[in-house]
Amino acid sequence: MNMKWLEDWFESIEPKGKWSWLGSTYEAFHTFAFTPKTVTKSGSHIRDAVDMKRSIIIVVIALIPALLFGMWNIGHQWSVASGQLSVSWLYEWWFGFLRMLPLIVVSYAVGLFIEFAFAQYRHHEVNEGYLATGLLIPMIVPVTTPLWQVALAVAFAVIIGKEVFGGSGMNFLNPALVARAFLFFAYPTHMSGDKVWIAADLWGSDAIAGATPMGELAAGSHPSASALDMLIGTIPGSTCETSVIAIALGAFLLLFTGIASWRIMLSVFLGGGAMGLLFNAIGANAYMELPFYYHFLMGGFAFGAVFMATDPVTAAQTNSGKWIYGLLIGAFAVLLRVCNPAYPEGMMLSILFMNCMAPLIDHCVVSRNIKRRERRIAR
Amino acid sequence: MVKIKTTKGLDIPLGGVAERFVVDMRGVKRYAVKPTDCVGFTPRLLVAEGDTVIAGQPLVQDKRDERLFLPSPVSGTVEAIVRGEKRRLLEVVVSLTPSSSPHRRGEQNAEANHSPLLTGEGSGVRLSPVWWMIKERPFGTIANPDHKPKGIFISMRDTNPLAPDLEFALKGREQEFEAGVKALEAFAPVHCVKVEGPHPAGNIGTIVAAIDPINKGEYVWSVNAQDVANIGRWCLTGEYRPERVIAVGGPAAKCPKYYRVICGACMQFISEVQMMNPDYPCLNNQNVPNNPTTQTRIISGSPLSGTTIAADGFLGMYDQQVCFIEEGDKYDFMGWLMPGLKKFSFSKTFLSGLLRPLLSLRSLEPLETLKTLTPSYNFNTNMHGSVRPFLFTGSFERVFPFDIYPLQLIKACIVGDVELQEKLGIYEVEPEDFALCEFIDPSKTEIQTIIREALEVLRKEAIS
Repeated sequence: MNMKWLEDWFESIEPKGKWSWLGSTYEAFHTFAFTPKTVTKSGSHIRDAVDMKRSIIIVVIALIPALLFGMWNIGHQWSVASGQLSVSWLYEWWFGFLRMLPLIVVSYAVGLFIEFAFAQYRHHEVNEGYLATGLLIPMIVPVTTPLWQVALAVAFAVIIGKEVFGGSGMNFLNPALVARAFLFFAYPTHMSGDKVWIAADLWGSDAIAGATPMGELAAGSHPSASALDMLIGTIPGSTCETSVIAIALGAFLLLFTGIASWRIMLSVFLGGGAMGLLFNAIGANAYMELPFYYHFLMGGFAFGAVFMATDPVTAAQTNSGKWIYGLLIGAFAVLLRVCNPAYPEGMMLSILFMNCMAPLIDHCVVSRNIKRRERRIAR
Repeated sequence: MVKIKTTKGLDIPLGGVAERFVVDMRGVKRYAVKPTDCVGFTPRLLVAEGDTVIAGQPLVQDKRDERLFLPSPVSGTVEAIVRGEKRRLLEVVVSLTPSSSPHRRGEQNAEANHSPLLTGEGSGVRLSPVWWMIKERPFGTIANPDHKPKGIFISMRDTNPLAPDLEFALKGREQEFEAGVKALEAFAPVHCVKVEGPHPAGNIGTIVAAIDPINKGEYVWSVNAQDVANIGRWCLTGEYRPERVIAVGGPAAKCPKYYRVICGACMQFISEVQMMNPDYPCLNNQNVPNNPTTQTRIISGSPLSGTTIAADGFLGMYDQQVCFIEEGDKYDFMGWLMPGLKKFSFSKTFLSGLLRPLLSLRSLEPLETLKTLTPSYNFNTNMHGSVRPFLFTGSFERVFPFDIYPLQLIKACIVGDVELQEKLGIYEVEPEDFALCEFIDPSKTEIQTIIREALEVLRKEAIS
């Protein structure tokens, strides 16, 4: 494909003189269209083809199965709950698509505007990290979340969660979960309960009553959905977190390409499973007696394990640290679910808590390496 | 010979492997000594343009330690003294005098066929012309004769992409090699190590880390296997003739081959032969600067850590390979989104990472036709992306066979925390040990430069 005309066009509009302050914005669009022609100056003369844009786009692609299924499930939950059983699956998907689109547009518009503004202000290049975060945020909120709340949460997450620390790569909390936590604590009535998960109509934030499996468990009853329903994801819940199968497709891509750490993903499930088995052994109430694998299928456990816990910036950075980090996320998530009914979803808080602990874990792991070296000198 | 096996690393499938055929190029006319290739060497010129020199005669000496010097590789006339910015001495060019014999018989030859590496003691030590071939770690300087190394390490396999096969290169020089090892044994135990595994298995850093890691205050020496034979020749005959068989190759090389050259030889003839292809005209002609698609970069040393030289430039002091690679100063439309069949990545984020493992399966016979259609990797000098902060973790460890946390050490070097660098093992590494980390880094950080600068701070602290 000959794109010479576009190369020339970009070179001709490069901001100079009084417009040079627009450099970051120009650079963002230019590198979006073309990988730069920069050549190596020092060090290795040849470089791997992978860069930050490619790595982040893999995360976005990995989210697509869950996103597409989530859109269908929004429409499906609506048609079942409102008794409109005659609508086709295609219309259900279209319904969900129209419900999701504003959430995604608002998230990207607000988030990218702030990212560009900060990059421009600091004369930095615009970082790609938000391309993944901006899609993650609408995927983990209830479908009826008002758009202004999404906008506010995004602004809070990008500014307080990320930019005050220096931008992508410098933050210690996962920005998408910061947005979710902001909504959870600022507008609890919109984030939990029975009347938020199923959209009542195409527009507006009215909801039809319908409890998530974890809502039912917190209320003391057994989940009405079967394990198979939960595995496929035809249950009420946050927009795109319900289908474990769709999430598994994304997980496969992340693991194959090496973008996400298999150590973290595996250890989150191991930690959650171990905690679940422990509760099975105690068996003091209905929640504790729940088969341990139900925890993997319900709520945001799978989504969190695959897409949130593996965020490399906020996770532990050493290989042994990743095992500890993942095991504790899984264990704490199940512990919170079972023992603290005030917070039906333990995954979000568990990951945010371990985000805070990750530097400490790394410090301990690296200290052992330092001790080993000191002992060698002493010998 | 010690054998070691490592598993961490990466062999980059760079095209243009040298054919096992040695062309004798010892008749090249011009040679250069490059003080810039020697870390920490502050040159003082001992000759002037037009002077007649003989092989092994000092051309420059170190201002800090006047015992260290770089000798002329051949007998001839000093043709040029090349200086760079701030009058920094870059090259002393010697042109071979056709009439004179190119090599010198050592003065010590009278002493029963045995010339020592050094004579005298303490500050009165006189070093032989082959001494500069011995390198010292930490810091990678020329060995200090006052130091007592805890071992001398010789790598018997160069694992760099397109590197020469040392067994092939040393064929016929076994006796000299053994004499060299014997001479080195006078200073410390010598370890000749043959490492199995992907690059950087053959790096001295990897070998030392596997056998006996360097602690603060300790030194190890290392010599290139071909230079061991050169040292051996000096010891046996008193003749200074620093010969190497170099591998010339690379994706843009016309006819990759081995060449037998004297150290510091001018690469002009070899470059002309390798770039005869009309697609890759000579770089040194300034009449095609605006034609970026047809430029070739010539690298003396490994493509992972070598130096760019001009088409009429000279082989680096310690290099045993020359690589020709196309300059990659071209835009790549939506490079982050395209399938990338010709792109090589350690991360499998491109279609090539999925297809190639599939195609390498023998049982998939129907794919034979597909195999022939799949293009080979397209390597050039493009950065393939812009510089970013570190985001992704865990991949450096897969190509870094040390008991060191690479990301943490790099960060300690960036912030200049000397104490933390020491704790994390900075003395065990050289920039070249991080070459693969730099190669695979999606953040495009100049890691080797960062490590070199940190080591320079430590080295200057150590000598002051």
